[in-house]
This record gives sequence, C-alpha cells and structure tokens, in this order.
Amino acid sequence: MAHRDEVGVVGIDVGGTFTDFVWRIGDRLQVLKLPTTPRDQSEAIGDGLGKLNVGMQAQVMHGTTVATNALLERRGARAALVTTKGFADVLAIGRQNRPSLYALSQQRKPELIPASWRFELDERIDAKGKVIKPLNRADLDRLSEMLQAKQVESLAVVFLFSFLNPEHEREVADHLATVLPDLNVSVSSELLPEYREYERTSTVAINAYVQPLVAAYLNRLKATLQKRSIFVMQSNGGVLSLESAARQAGRLVLSGPAGGVVGAFEVAKRGLDTSAPEIITFDMGGTSTDVALCPGVLPRTSEGFITDLPIRFPSMDIHTVGAGGGSIARVDSGGILRVGPESAGADPGPVCYSRGGIEPTVTDANLVLGRIPKDGFQGGGMQLDLEAAMEALASLGRSMNVSPFEAALGVVRVANAVMERALRRISIEQGFDPRSYTLVPFGGAGGLHACELAEALGIEQILIPRYPGVLSAWGLTIADSTFDASATVLLDSQELLARPELLEPMYLSLVEKVNQGLLDQSTEPSFQAWFDIRYKGQSYELEIPVDLPFTASHINLALDRFYAMHDRRFGYRLTGSRVEIVAMRLQGKHMGAPLRQEELLREVGGAPIMQNERREVWLDSAGEQSIHFWNREDIQPRKDFMGPAIVGQYDATLLVFPSWRVSSDRHRNILLRRM
Amino acid sequence: MKNMDPVLLEVYRHRFIGISEEMGVTLQRTSFSPNIKERLDFSCALFDGAGKLIAQAAHIPVHLGAMPASVKAARDAYSSWHPGDVVILNDPYAGGTHLPDITMVTPVFGLAENAPLYFIATRAHHADVGGMTPGSLPLSTELYQEGIIIPPVMVYEKGVLNEGVQALILRNVRTPKEREGDFAAQRAAHTVGNKRLSALMSQFGEEEVALYARHLQSYSERIVRAAISSWPDGVYTSEDILEVKENARIKLKLTIQGDRISFDFTGTSGSMQNSLNAVLSITQSACYYTVACLVGEDVPMNEGCFSQVHIDVPKGSLLNARPPSAVAGGNVETSQRVVDVAFKAFAKALPERVLADSQGTMNNLTIGGISEEGRPYAYYETIGGGMGASLNTDGLSGVHVHMSNTLNTPVEALERAYPFRIKVYSLRKGSGGLGQRNGGEGLIREYELLRPATVTMLSERRSHPPAGLFGGKEGETGKNMLIEANGEETELPAKFSRVFQAGECLRIITPGGGGYGPENE
Repeated sequence: MAHRDEVGVVGIDVGGTFTDFVWRIGDRLQVLKLPTTPRDQSEAIGDGLGKLNVGMQAQVMHGTTVATNALLERRGARAALVTTKGFADVLAIGRQNRPSLYALSQQRKPELIPASWRFELDERIDAKGKVIKPLNRADLDRLSEMLQAKQVESLAVVFLFSFLNPEHEREVADHLATVLPDLNVSVSSELLPEYREYERTSTVAINAYVQPLVAAYLNRLKATLQKRSIFVMQSNGGVLSLESAARQAGRLVLSGPAGGVVGAFEVAKRGLDTSAPEIITFDMGGTSTDVALCPGVLPRTSEGFITDLPIRFPSMDIHTVGAGGGSIARVDSGGILRVGPESAGADPGPVCYSRGGIEPTVTDANLVLGRIPKDGFQGGGMQLDLEAAMEALASLGRSMNVSPFEAALGVVRVANAVMERALRRISIEQGFDPRSYTLVPFGGAGGLHACELAEALGIEQILIPRYPGVLSAWGLTIADSTFDASATVLLDSQELLARPELLEPMYLSLVEKVNQGLLDQSTEPSFQAWFDIRYKGQSYELEIPVDLPFTASHINLALDRFYAMHDRRFGYRLTGSRVEIVAMRLQGKHMGAPLRQEELLREVGGAPIMQNERREVWLDSAGEQSIHFWNREDIQPRKDFMGPAIVGQYDATLLVFPSWRVSSDRHRNILLRRM
Repeated sequence: MKNMDPVLLEVYRHRFIGISEEMGVTLQRTSFSPNIKERLDFSCALFDGAGKLIAQAAHIPVHLGAMPASVKAARDAYSSWHPGDVVILNDPYAGGTHLPDITMVTPVFGLAENAPLYFIATRAHHADVGGMTPGSLPLSTELYQEGIIIPPVMVYEKGVLNEGVQALILRNVRTPKEREGDFAAQRAAHTVGNKRLSALMSQFGEEEVALYARHLQSYSERIVRAAISSWPDGVYTSEDILEVKENARIKLKLTIQGDRISFDFTGTSGSMQNSLNAVLSITQSACYYTVACLVGEDVPMNEGCFSQVHIDVPKGSLLNARPPSAVAGGNVETSQRVVDVAFKAFAKALPERVLADSQGTMNNLTIGGISEEGRPYAYYETIGGGMGASLNTDGLSGVHVHMSNTLNTPVEALERAYPFRIKVYSLRKGSGGLGQRNGGEGLIREYELLRPATVTMLSERRSHPPAGLFGGKEGETGKNMLIEANGEETELPAKFSRVFQAGECLRIITPGGGGYGPENE
C-alpha cells in the first residue's frame, strides 16, 4: 500500500443514518455524506464513488456494520457448533449468572446457535494437553451427515483445552474440508487459542454466525467496486484485506467506533506535534457516547462484549455509555432528574426534529439554551422546532418548579454527569490522570459538551479535528493494515527467564499466522508483541508490551512494566510473588502512507451555515449572554480569541466557555486552552 | 435538611455508586480466591458516619442487610478511629453472616480527623477459613466447627499491620498464602474508596457531600414508600420447610398497611442441630431483597430503602439464631427458602408481579485435599438451576437465583488448578415445571476426582420440589449421585460429607423452577 498518494484512497464509513466518504488523492481531499442504504450497504457506496469520481486504481478503506447488525438483529447464518462431549450447552449457560439482579421476569436474547444445532463428539484432552479420549472416525462421518441433513451453512468447532493441543479440532476441520468443502468452518485453536471455554466458544460461534453474511456482502461490494483494492476495518483499529475479512468476519464486530479513535489519534499526532499523543476521545452520538483513553498509543483490549456475548478478538478499548443527544430526560416518582438510558434515537428523535418525539432530550435542551442554532443544523438542511422543544422543557421544568431554561441546564448537567462517569472510568479508575490529557471531541455533539466535561475533570486542553463529523472515514484513509494472533503460554516468569527459547516455536507459528492474515507478501510487516501477565493465582491478566526478540532482558523489562502497571491500576505490587505469562499476542502491521498537508477541495453541503454575528445563549443559570457565533471557515491560524463563543460548521457545533482560548493550527484543527 | 436539587441529586447518585463499583472492580481484579475473582462473591459499600448505608454496588443480594450489621459491629467494638484503621470480622454473632464471608471496615475522615464522616466496607467469600472440612461449609452442629471466628478486631492500626492478628488468622486456615493475597485485594479496594470519597469532599465540600448522601437516602425512601402504598393492604401468610432431620418450618405473616410492610416470622421452628440456621441479618437481607425486586424501579440501594420494612423474627428461632448455633448453610440455603416463602405470601397481594419457586438452593459444593505437589487445597463452588416462571416470561435456565448471582469457574481454569475433572456441564432438559409459562431448567455438572478428596455438599430441594404458582407445575427436584469407578450409581443425600477415591465421580443435578399458571391444552 505504498503508493496511496498517486492512486488515491477513499475512506468509507457506514453508520446507522449516513455513509461518510473521505476521498484523498495527492494533496487534495473531498468529503461526502450520503444516506445509508440499509438493505445493501454497497448501494450507497457505489453511488458515492461515482459522485466523487474515484478511479479504478484507488484503494478503498471500508468500515462496515454488516457483522455488528447481523449479531444485534440475530440475522446470521444457520450456524452449528461442535463441542467436547458433555459441553454442548456451554454457549447457553454462559457464566451461569442472570443478567439483572432484581428483575423477577427476565429474558435472554435468542441463542446464536440453538440446542438442536449443537453437537457433541466423544473426545477429551486434559488440562496438560494430553489426549485422554481419542476422536472416533465413525463419529466424524455421523457428524458430516448430520450437518448436511440440517443444511448447516457455517460451523464452529470448540473442544476443551484445544489451546494446549489442537489435534482434535484439526482432525475435525480436515475431515470436513474433504467431505463438505463448501462448509465454512471456524476452529477455536486457529482463531483464538486462549483459555476460558465460554469466552472462546462465544467468540468462535460469533465468527461462524456472521461469516457467511459478511462474505456475501463483501462479494457484492467487490462487484460494485470492480478492480479497486478493498480493505476492511477491524475491531482492533487496523484494516484487513477483503479476503481475510471474509474468512474471519468476527474480527469486524466491534469495528464501528474504532475508525473514529484512529482518526482522533492521527489528528492529535499532528495537532499536538508528537508521535505519542496522550488523548481522551469523546464521540457523542444520538443514543450513546463512546470514550477511549490513548496513553500515547491506541488502547487495546481482549475483553470485548457485543450485547451479552463476550468476543475476545483484540479490539480498541472503547467504553460506551447510554447517553447521547437523543437521551430522554424525565423526573421520576422520587423527584430525581434522570437522563437516559431511554433514547428517542433517530426516529422519532428529539422533540425539535418534529418527527413525533414528545419527551425532552439532551438535543432539545441544547437548542433551548441557544447552544445549537435552530436554523443551522446539519448544513442548514434541517430546521429545528424551537417552540416545541421549549414547550417540552417547560413541562419538565414545571415538575421541578423551575423555568424551562433551568430545566434545560439541569438536563445538560445530568447528561454531563453520566459522561463524566464514563471518562473517569477510563482514566482515573485505570490509574491515569486526565489532567495531563487532551480531550478530542468529535461526532455532531461532542463539541457542545467538551468544555464542561474538561472542566469537571481538570483537563486543560481540547483539540477539535478539522472534520469532526466524518472523522471515522478520515481515520480509515490513514489506517494501518494489521493482523493480530495469539497463543497460550501459561509459563512461570522464572522458567521463561531461564529458557526464553521456549517462546520461539510459538512466536514462529504466530508470525506465520499473521503473514497469512495480512495477505501482503510484497513487504515485510513490522511486528509488535504483548504478554498477558498476572501474579500467579490471579484470574485477570494485564496486557503488557514486550520488545522483540524474546531475550531474558526484554522479558525482564516486560515484567517491570507489569509491576508498574499493576501498581498504577490497582494500587499495589506483590514483590517476591511469582508471576505468570498467560498468553502471547503478536500484531503484524503494514503502515498506512504518511499524510501530507491537505487542501480541502469541497465539502458537500459546505455553504457557510451562519454569518458571524452575536446571539443569546445560556451558559449557566445566571441568564442569557450575548456571545459571538463564528463560522468554522473563518477561524484562521494565528488569530486567537477568548471564549465564550460558538463555532459552527456544516455537521458539528463547538461551544466555547469563558476562560478558554481558541486557536487554530496549520492543519486547521481548533485547539482550546484553558486560561 | 436543605433543599434538594434534583439535578445535583442525580449527579451524586452517579458519584456514590461509581465509587462502590470501582472498589468492586479493584477487588475482583486483584484477588486470589476463585470465589472472589471468578465468581464475584463479594460486595462493596459506603456508609455515613452513623453507619447508615449510602450506596452499595449491585453485587450479591444476600449481603444487603448484612453489610450494615458489620459496620455496626465494628463501631460497637471501637469507639475511637484513626485514618488507616482497618477492622476485620467474620463472627456471625457480631456483624458477620457465615465464617467464609470476611468483612473489612475502614473509616473515612474529613479535614478535621476527629470523627469518621464515612465508613467503607467490603465483604468477600474466602475459599477457606479452616474448620472441619476444606472450604469451610461443613455439616456442623455448632459454630466452633466451622472455622476461625474473628470478632471485630483492628488488623491495621493507623495504617500499621497488626502482624499478630494476621498471623493468628493465617495459621488457622488451610490456604494461608491465598488468604493473604485476598486480604491485600480487599485492602486495595478500601484504599480506592477512601481516595475517591476524600477527593469528592475536597472538591465539593464536606457539607455538600454529606447533604446529598442524606438526600439520596430519602430519595430511595420516597420511592419505596410510594411503591408499598400502591400495593393492596392486607395480611398474607405462607410457609415452607427445610429438608433436614429436625422439624424445620418457616412461617411468615406478611402485613401490608399503607406505606409500611412487616414480615412476622412468629411460628418458625427453633434453632437446629445443623448448619442451616440463619442469623438475623440474613433473614433481613432476604426480606429486603424481595421488597427491592417488587418495587421494581432502579432504586439506589441504601438505608432509605428499608426504613418502611419491619422484620420480626423470634429470638432463638432458625431465622434468628443464637450462639453457638452452626450457621454455615443459613447464608446460602435458608436465605433462598425465606425468599420463596416471602414471594408465596406476596403472590396473594401482587399475583401479576411475583414468580413461582426458583431452584431454592445454591448447591454448595466444597472439595478439599492434597494436591499432586503435596499442597493442601480447598475449592468451593455453587451451581445454578431453574428460575421460577412469571406472568409473562419463562424462568431462566441454569442461573443463580435470588440471593446469589455468582459466576461459574471456567472448566479450563479449574482443571488446571485442582485435581478433578469436569465430565459434563449441561442444561437439564425438561426439569422446569410446565405452565402457561414454564419454569427454567436446572443444570447437570459431573466431577471426576483424580486424587482422594473430601467432598462436602450442602443442598436443598432434593425431596421437596420447587412449587409452581397458580396452577403451574412444580420443578423437578435435584439429585446428588455417586458414580463409582465400576459405573455403579448411588443417590447421595442432600447434605453429605464423604471421602471420594480417585476415579469416583459426583454428578450434581440441580432443580428446575416452578411453572406459572395452568398449562395450555
């Protein structure tokens, strides 16, 4: 992917409402938003590429919600599961807990793979990896007949302790590859050779469940895009070739919010002029808000969830809370003001959208306070009904004996409290001091709440990207292509220090897996490794970077990092206690092309949305203030000014509180500094 | 009290619950007992200076009424407090519930440091605290057999460890290293809680934080009062039994009157010569839990929730045991029966809100012995079963019900750490009671012992099935089966302690939940 500059690269991010395009060729950049075509996401994509005149040589970097939606709506394949005898129900039992503590009637979501499609084979490998019950060939024949009879499209194979000994899983996969060559088979020892049978089964079942659907979608997309090369965003924030994505579709499930974090991180590298920016990203949407802390690197986790299902492919460590612009505010029977988790969503949406919403939302509150211009929403393409919003807030105010404005201020404050708790959880609770971090808000509403949240957390600096509304698509154009693989180690650190060569065979097999996943043999990828480490006897590991190659001194360095990280996150270290390396993780990476200074060609709907003028805005309960409205296009480098102010552009609004100084960098990002 | 700002109240609700949850995460992530780290058998809570509950993270309902009792016992034992003090206790007759649940209580001071403004408490189920059998849930007849009894005692004084106390405790348990790690984890949770609460006070002022702690308590009280007022006044009775040799009857007279509710257990049998006796705080927890479920809204759990709930239990009865009655199983088994009895009474008042009997047991299994490397080990787990059906939904299958919500231990973690093997872990099809809505299904879990070990089982609903409601069928009873090396199967009693030889298997089959309403033709 070295020649992106000449052939051009287009980032396409499909969201619930809009499909965003960022098209970059040479030093030019173009932005487009089109309504998403939910029936087949590739329709809007083809349409957009035509409008942007994207050439056949161009690279397409794509973020899709096909896998995510298939899971959320349970529209996946006819998938089956094969397990060790006695364990077909592991997927249904989960961790044996009920979802809600105090609810007397509760339901689970339908199972991904129902009982009638879960099969057991009489085999067993023990906790040391020894076969104590071999597989029976006759059982394999019965299995393939059964799968055929039930017209199974996709199969997950998960045996106990296969992470120690993959022999049996491979036997099943090999047998089926011969007799049922068209069947998609997801094998746990290949996809996720890590211990904890439920989490592994869930991950592999998810892969099997979404894989046929994603493969079919990517095939359609390939037809639409013809000769253009296609890369797809994964949950880990890197892209994957279309062919690999089609085989390991489970790796896309949590990709939705990943592009935005990648974009914010790249923006911050340039805006803050460092290769390791320390930022907190803050993406406020309609129904939820995603936050992530990047301590100089993109945050990783292997403990992701999608609704109630664990998925253990590496993903960006992003925390989501149920508060967004559409969150509904109400006073409950005990007299407390609650905001969310109920949401008006996009339909009917906030009261001011005039689509039938009647309960006041955060967006309505912002409108009543004058913080969003009623005539300038989404490029002026949408008029907001201020009177209806005012009426809804007045009604809320009556139940608290306050004016509509005070009620609106309260709604914003409570929404901020929910988001502040999320920001605390990813910073202070993990041992990171947010005061030394820069907040990077994006999405349509992030900039409205950024100053108040920054003040609550003692954050001194806010960076607003040039294109906050299409940041995910922008992030796609510069994403690296990556592939993650892991292996179970389960060795004592002393043992490892004495014989670091024990890691060699695992490392080599991971390198091979990564190379296969990246599918690009033209250049050598760069590798990065992590260990999952814990004190012996603990159950949770910390993922610690380890330098390559695995020498005793590099392992020692990783152990020191572990002691420090455990202390930072949990407040103590156990000197003298034994330490266990549980797993090894390897990521291979082909870097995205470096960026040049970019020139904006055209923003669709990019007409100035408002004149520079003064308007009345509520910033606090002292009353309305007359503050300046700026058009984003008029914010130039070296022309600093102080808040309060509002800066508008076609898809986002920024509210600057007093005591914040506004400046712009040469990349046209806005930087706010607290004075 | 100063005026309450509905906005600030919500902001403080987030702040207080946030602190107790963060304490929980710290404890879970750093502990060593499988019970704590994998099964999440613990609770973390904040109290005001008078020992009244402000916030408790939603972890384990059986700790609801018991956490305040611990703080009270610690405050009764010590009148003067200093920063850095930690009181530890597990005495069921002085703030504890059963011995494996070890509680720590610490004070939190404001600027003045003369009297604590808050208390923080954590309670965690430790895998072994000594006593007759490994895992410390024995078939005992008096408390002294169940393990080391720790009255409220200061284990850290002004931040300095009382090494004698710690050494005494550790010498009395089978797995001292693990205990030590768990104590460190509990203390780490306290450090976090203390830090966050202090930061809150220095940022917003001690007065405001204290005021909103009180506002939050009265908020919960208002919600609960309003809910109880909407329930039909009346007197409702119910009863059930425990599966023990003695006559062990639980009788309840439930009175709803205006915005008050009272649970009267007069007529309940006296303390028994077995370990199923419950101390008062367990009975309280069970009653509070049923009220919390029926109030239904997302009420913050604190002192205010329970001010309208009155509980009378005859002293010396099996629900208000006196020393030295054995209590190991009261916490885990009897508490579940109290919940079922309470819902049966509520069924007459609120038929559309309650559910049929759930599995009514936690199927407590402890296995202990000597590992291949010659180290003693103790393992404890509980097994889910069927939840009762309700008006509109089938009961969940294979879950922990009511007073517990602990996780299972992954088979791949367990077999690496202990000398036994899981042969089956599956849903028990067809075990839920049929009805208009069906009860949830029980589980089957089969263990093969790879080395000789003492296996102790404490279970209920082996002969008296979970009842259906309004014409729904009963759930299947549970079974404990011994499978000898030659394949011969024998049913074992609901409660047993037996040395298993290598190669012998134990199959535990847990009860299904009761059905709701008559089955459709």
